[in-house]
Amino acid sequence: MPTQIPSNPLEEPGRSSRNIDPCIVVIFGATGDLTGRRLAPALYNLGREGQLPPNFALVGFARREKSQQEFRDELKEDISSFSRVKPIEEGFWENFQEQIFYHRSEFDDDAGYEALAHFLNSLDGRFATRGNRVFYLSVQPKFFPLIIEKLHKFGLIYDAHNTKDKWSRVIIEKPFGRDSASAETLQTDISKHLDESQIYRIDHYLGKETVQNLLVFRFANSIFESLWNYRHVDHVQITVAEDIGIGTRGHFFEEEGLCRDIVQNHMMQLLSLVAMEPPVSLSAGAIRDEKVKVLQSIRPLSQADLEHTVIRGQYGNGFINGQEVPAYRNEKDVSPSSYIETYVALRFFIDNWRWAGIPFYLRGGKRLPKRVTEIAIVFKDAPGVLFQNKGKRNEQNVLAIRIQPDEGIAMKMNCKVPGPSSPIQPVKMDFRYGSYFGKSPPEAYERLIWDCIIGDSTLFARADEVAQSWDIFTPILKYWSSHTPKDFPNYDSGSWGPKAADEMIAKDGRAWRMP
Amino acid sequence: MTIQQIVDPSNIEPELIRIWEALAKENKIRASLFNLIVFTRFSPRTDYFRNIVQKVVEKFPCRTLFISHDPDSPQPYLKTAISVVSPSEEASIACDQIDIGVAGPDLQRVPFVILPHLIPDLPIYLLWAEDPSIPHPLFPPLAKLATRIIFDSESADSLLAFAQTLLELKEKTGIDVADLNWARTEGWRDLISSTFYAGQRLALLKQISHLNIVYNARETEFFCHLKIQAMYLLAWASSRLDWKFEKATPSLQFKFKSVAARIQSDTWEKLGPGTVISVNLQTTDGHQFDAGRIPDAYHHVKIQFSSMEQCDLPYRFVLGQTATGQSLVNEICKKGTSVHYLDMLKELKTLDRDRLC
Repeated sequence: MPTQIPSNPLEEPGRSSRNIDPCIVVIFGATGDLTGRRLAPALYNLGREGQLPPNFALVGFARREKSQQEFRDELKEDISSFSRVKPIEEGFWENFQEQIFYHRSEFDDDAGYEALAHFLNSLDGRFATRGNRVFYLSVQPKFFPLIIEKLHKFGLIYDAHNTKDKWSRVIIEKPFGRDSASAETLQTDISKHLDESQIYRIDHYLGKETVQNLLVFRFANSIFESLWNYRHVDHVQITVAEDIGIGTRGHFFEEEGLCRDIVQNHMMQLLSLVAMEPPVSLSAGAIRDEKVKVLQSIRPLSQADLEHTVIRGQYGNGFINGQEVPAYRNEKDVSPSSYIETYVALRFFIDNWRWAGIPFYLRGGKRLPKRVTEIAIVFKDAPGVLFQNKGKRNEQNVLAIRIQPDEGIAMKMNCKVPGPSSPIQPVKMDFRYGSYFGKSPPEAYERLIWDCIIGDSTLFARADEVAQSWDIFTPILKYWSSHTPKDFPNYDSGSWGPKAADEMIAKDGRAWRMP
Repeated sequence: MTIQQIVDPSNIEPELIRIWEALAKENKIRASLFNLIVFTRFSPRTDYFRNIVQKVVEKFPCRTLFISHDPDSPQPYLKTAISVVSPSEEASIACDQIDIGVAGPDLQRVPFVILPHLIPDLPIYLLWAEDPSIPHPLFPPLAKLATRIIFDSESADSLLAFAQTLLELKEKTGIDVADLNWARTEGWRDLISSTFYAGQRLALLKQISHLNIVYNARETEFFCHLKIQAMYLLAWASSRLDWKFEKATPSLQFKFKSVAARIQSDTWEKLGPGTVISVNLQTTDGHQFDAGRIPDAYHHVKIQFSSMEQCDLPYRFVLGQTATGQSLVNEICKKGTSVHYLDMLKELKTLDRDRLC
């Protein structure tokens, strides 16, 4: 919940846009790619649009030797290249950069943390930031426990239950473990020093406007929610397709694979939001409770499911936009005999009242024909025999929610073609965010960092959510590790995936959509 | 923006369709989030409001119906023109603007001209750029259409009459109202409320003995009622903290039960007219709070707290964007009527009973 001080007679809840706690954001790994491409542009845009607290400072923590000015200049360059709004506003930047600082230290150096504590205290005096801290760990997960332990040791993490006048929060980036066991170990390590209310597990998919709009769309419109169940829905398809390959992430991908990279986290977040029950309130706890219930309701996969309804693939050579691209096994830092998956398709059933018997098909992959993330709700056929076209059934109604790119919502329905012969043709009603709201929406990181500053954890993953998701996927990963695929690579780059995925859905009398 | 094209009122929609068909080749997409009706008298301020509308369109595409009334024209007329406006040349989205120029008895036709052009199912915001305390035949029919009315007290001849009119309007109709001058003080209100945040600082609010507000007395052709924002800030503080007004002098010195307040002027050439420059507060036990804009960085305010025993290091507060039109954009994002604003207006009726502004 946003921090509010109701006893302040000068505050008007809900109207004042900037009554949020002052704070210092400290980014660990401040010279890394994520900081330059995402975090710095996000903070710059928040500041530019007056969304940051007025009393604010940013501190970069990293191992490289660098002066304050060098760090500021590098951030400026990154913001100029990667901000959604270009060019950089010089007038704003001149003032904003005075709130940016650099602190050099190794992650395991006590002296570095001691100096950090002194430095942050001095900034509190200068910017009236009142001791409030956001620590953003933009580092490899293996450093999470170490950094958190040091922060605790030097008094930078406060006791969440006994400190009332200031707060400290820690944002961590996925992956949150590699399977159930490692996720549990990580959780045990970090929860030694942090209360769950202080941990913000970031999944940037949840910061996307369209994903957030899913809740509004479902629960602020009466017409859809009444259809959102097994009586009217035939099935649901969730697609996360990318046309790019693994790029320079060969080492990472060989370790993780697509299932850990996007299915276990991003796609399951989408599934939870689509399938959840209305929460009792819009509080973080209430929403996350309902999301967890969806994961708990997913029918455990049987041996037969693992063999037939969980499909993995790996891309071979092919063409993307007419350009020849190499097979996964020929990518940089990839084993020529790799069995890592770059494509996953699977079917889940959610065993609860609302979704009884309704399949949810998920597919995600690299080197597919286009970059698109979409949730499609496919409705049951209209009953009866009216308006049938020479015995053929009409197209099913589809509600397609596009997460990226070209965010929007489209509805497919059947319509009479003008003229006396009355043929029926599917037409599309299309709502596009870009067309309607004009300017580019805030980047996901803008929203998520802002939410952390105001103390709203709704759009962050909770420990039990992460654990539940790993409980679903650990058996799949275990099965795969003991069953080497025989047909890899099994789909051409630029195609919609392996034949087995088409056959899997075809056995149910359905087909993948062309998003 | 396409060139403004004069059309007969009956041809507005067909002509807009024709323009849009031509723009389809340029992949322009027609968008509208709400209807914005702007009413202003034909004067130098008309251009100011046109500029504001452009700022709004940059943030929120909307259908604008811009009415300018020329009460001094010897000839009656009703002219309508259409154009398509876009945030920028490169932007893919654009929206319609319908301009209505009117003089003489044709004024009564205006509501009937605009009615067919309001986009259904979208909110209707009325920016009434004139003094609401002076009756105008167009106000009742336009107010009846509006979801929300936005005023600008800069247009008011008497702040007291303005406050009375708005409070009566709110009471009689319940319609949501907003005020650009109130929005212009938002940064300072945020600054003060976030500075006195909790505990000891919050307790200091009850001990305030002196308040001094300095505003920018630089007049322009668009702004001449320069004390209003400072008065708003004073009335807001007084209403929130229940100071109990006793008397005021023409030199803008105010006596409350236990607080003495003063409004003073200064002239900063590059700062917006009427804008608050600094606020100083003192408490009965010797605490002092000074907040003043930094001359070479207007959006930044230097804040310093001191007491008899200690002097805190100064720190900066960054005020929000204050570009022209930003106040209206901020107001559009909000829903309902600010309770603080209504309370401030009630307080203003007492503070300005001698018509100081």
